[in-house]
Amino acid sequence: MTQHLQTNISISRRGRLHRRDVLRTISAGAIASGGLGWADRTILQAAELRRRGMACILLWMQGGPSQFDTFSPKIGDTGGDIKAIDTNVSGIKIAANLPETAKVMDDICLIRSMTGNEGSHPRASFHLHTGYIPNPSVKHPTFGSVVAKAIGDAQHDLPSFVRIGNRGRGATGSGFLGVDYAAFALNSARNTPANTKPTTSDARYTRRLGFLEGLETDFAESGGEQVVADHRKLYNKASKMIRSPHMEAFDITREDRKTRDVYGDGEFAAGCLMARRLVETGVTFVEVGLGNWDTHQDNNDRTKQLCGQLDRPYAQLLRDLKERGLLDNTLVIWMGEFGRTPRINARGGRDHYPRAFDVALAGGGVQGGQVIGRTDPTGARVTDRPVEVADLFRTFCHSLKIDADDENMSAIGRPIPIVEGGSAVKEVFG
Amino acid sequence: MPLPWIRSAWKHFAVVLVVASVCGSLESAESRSNETAQRIDQLLQEEHAIDQADPSPRCDDETFLRRVSLDITGQLPTPGKVTSFVLDPDEAKREKVVQRLLDEKEFGRNWGRYWRDVVMYRRNDDRGLIGAASLERHLTEQLNKNTPWDEVATGFITAKGDVREDGATGMIMAQVGRPEDTAAEISRIFLGVQIQCAQCHDHPTDRWSREQFHELAAFFPRVAVRPRNNDGPRSFAVVADDGPMIRRRPNGNNRFRGTPEHYMPDLEDPQARGTRMQPIFFLTDQEVDYGTADAKRRAALAGMITAKDNPWFAKAFVNRIWAELVGEGFYPHVDDLGPDRDATSPKTIDYLAEQFAASGYDVKQLYRTITSTDAYQRQSQPRRSFKETPFAANCSQRLRSDQLFNALVHALGIPDSPARQADGPYGPRGGNAELRRVFGQTFSYDPSDPRDEVDGSIPQALALMNSPQLNQLISASPFTTLGRLLRSTPDNEDVVVELYLRCLARQPSEAELTHCLQYVKSTGDRDEAFEDMLWALINSTEFLYRK
Repeated sequence: MTQHLQTNISISRRGRLHRRDVLRTISAGAIASGGLGWADRTILQAAELRRRGMACILLWMQGGPSQFDTFSPKIGDTGGDIKAIDTNVSGIKIAANLPETAKVMDDICLIRSMTGNEGSHPRASFHLHTGYIPNPSVKHPTFGSVVAKAIGDAQHDLPSFVRIGNRGRGATGSGFLGVDYAAFALNSARNTPANTKPTTSDARYTRRLGFLEGLETDFAESGGEQVVADHRKLYNKASKMIRSPHMEAFDITREDRKTRDVYGDGEFAAGCLMARRLVETGVTFVEVGLGNWDTHQDNNDRTKQLCGQLDRPYAQLLRDLKERGLLDNTLVIWMGEFGRTPRINARGGRDHYPRAFDVALAGGGVQGGQVIGRTDPTGARVTDRPVEVADLFRTFCHSLKIDADDENMSAIGRPIPIVEGGSAVKEVFG
Repeated sequence: MPLPWIRSAWKHFAVVLVVASVCGSLESAESRSNETAQRIDQLLQEEHAIDQADPSPRCDDETFLRRVSLDITGQLPTPGKVTSFVLDPDEAKREKVVQRLLDEKEFGRNWGRYWRDVVMYRRNDDRGLIGAASLERHLTEQLNKNTPWDEVATGFITAKGDVREDGATGMIMAQVGRPEDTAAEISRIFLGVQIQCAQCHDHPTDRWSREQFHELAAFFPRVAVRPRNNDGPRSFAVVADDGPMIRRRPNGNNRFRGTPEHYMPDLEDPQARGTRMQPIFFLTDQEVDYGTADAKRRAALAGMITAKDNPWFAKAFVNRIWAELVGEGFYPHVDDLGPDRDATSPKTIDYLAEQFAASGYDVKQLYRTITSTDAYQRQSQPRRSFKETPFAANCSQRLRSDQLFNALVHALGIPDSPARQADGPYGPRGGNAELRRVFGQTFSYDPSDPRDEVDGSIPQALALMNSPQLNQLISASPFTTLGRLLRSTPDNEDVVVELYLRCLARQPSEAELTHCLQYVKSTGDRDEAFEDMLWALINSTEFLYRK
């Protein structure tokens, strides 16, 4: 087990945390009074949220989505049978696979000039999750963990970082930030997480935990100090969570039928809806996975089918956040580990292509309805405003009001900045 | 010796007599392992000056027995075995218990499951899981028969047949027969060389070229994975297709319909046929001619990989097993070795690999050797930092999902419940087998990942502390193990000792005993107090780790 040393370098962050803390107490108080229903509480919390810190939803397109079949159709040049459609922003066309997304284009800022070097899934997933290329001697934390540490509400009953779906596939961990900022991972958003209904009375449960603590000393003293400490943190976190009224956020069946219907069916739709509920409740970072976009064969059909799962929930998530006044404070990132080759291969597929691909941003101060960067007519290379991964991560940080130069301490005591190099793409914010 | 030993010794007296009367009949194999083990400790001393680094002392008998039982059979020792082992005066008892554990069927099953995870975690398609159960069965048998590792490897490389029946097909099935992916996995697993990084471009830090990777893939273009049209559950077969070009069926794994040779794609023009590649083994440059039949191609590759003059075959295996047993390998990754990586202890791994090859790739012998070393038998310490001396301690390891499941079955006395359906889509359905699989969805991890990257999680904590099923099993009702124990054992101290032995395979310390008895007293309700105690024991960190 890695030794987890953390240092809070930034004092300013403390101030923000403190403020969030106070606001959370208000909402917990309102809940404790018992007089408020879920909807009332939601409105109250949404109001608080507007005043408090930022949140982030990462829609992770595992496997590397084809830019040509999603946001950057290139008719005639790239093979396949992609049709472009108009969006609600004149001059921006996207693939016909995304008709609902086209209707909320005015909230989306599209970066068409992402460029990277990593062409294998594990390395590229790591790069786009952490902002760093893999390094055997430093366990870089995934962005969700970084955000959880930087702006998460450590006192909140729910984990600051929740990951839904696509577990184990290209998912990176909390690295040297340790269990404090690790994702609470769910396989599916359609069911409430397993084993979260308390099985004993509160008093007895507390007694058990106390007794357990007394049992751990022997193992801790014989070299297990760190693992025992980590274990205790997990148990405390899990215990706090299951006893919290906020657990309702994990139950999408509490939404009315109509709301669920507009998000649509399917795992990803459920994930998006749960992400909205979680952000509303005060969770800072939610990652929702959709895959598998690794279309080496039958690219056109498979991408079309995947876009069918993506389109409605994505568009509805943006609308819903906006209607609830949450979009301004919630950065919604759509991306995968790389794009796909301009040419269709002999199996009707597209292969990995990190040299030019798309990322779509919305909310969190992002100015929608614009396109940044451009590629040549074949989509093979970036011809205008190349954006590298470090630039992208700086852009995320700018939106989330995180100082990208803040440093976390790695296990060997080496300070590691949140983002190394790069500069934020300021145009994103208008 | 603490007082409680006397109590439980009395209880388990019969077992003591039986164990003490067993004499080793494998003297020669044991002494060979011992000599090799001594030499390894010497070499480690030469390479790292361990004695100047304040090495951990030899672990005590209780720790050793729990460690070696979990390591070899994936099971906790029973309370009776713990007691008799500790009281056994035989100086050679550690070697003897290793031999006994290696003879148990659970040895093959434990490591069969381990290798199943090694293979299946890197599947490129979920259909690969259809072969998981037969793969596990196959490996269990081979390991229990002590089939030499080169034969096991050859079986995987040359496999053909129904993936539900012939488990050796599992490695190819996990990659649904794609030549590139199959080649990459065979290299990773059997050689510890990650040549697949050269698939798209020459590797920046390794010597392997893109051509060499595709030359390796060229041993597999005639392999196909085809659906089986039989009445049973959905299945696939790994077949060879040596038919003439014109009548070839697509095998779904080549870029071109059923080409009998492998082609390296042209990166600039992916629709073009690319370059035809001759099968050449990258480590030795041995070749096979174009047009060679599938069976001959793959047999030739198996021969090249397992040849005694290829050190990487032995090194990959000994490094992996050493890493699992001692807690740290000779390389940072168990599957990333090769001539461009530096070993922490090059002389030691060379020697261990040479001995393994010289033994005819005798797998059980390797376990005997490693478990006899001081490096293995030292008390465990947390994972060292880069600066600290390697192998001055064993390293405590989080249990793999299957080991943890076994430990729960053992500690809670979960009765064995047979599967309803032996051949479900992804393995047995119903009974403990399915429970085990579901448990694995929360607790399992890729055994090839560095162990310091495997962390606990909230869902795991929730499953152990708050699942309705487990809470039922820890209740003191007349139908549970705890309930029966409480009714048959009036003395609370005896119950505490028994629970510790069952859950942690050791006696409680005096302090723990006091803590527990005090808890029973303060709780007032005997049943409730012991339920809480059992809950706490299976939720303790120690339960999740092997020290």
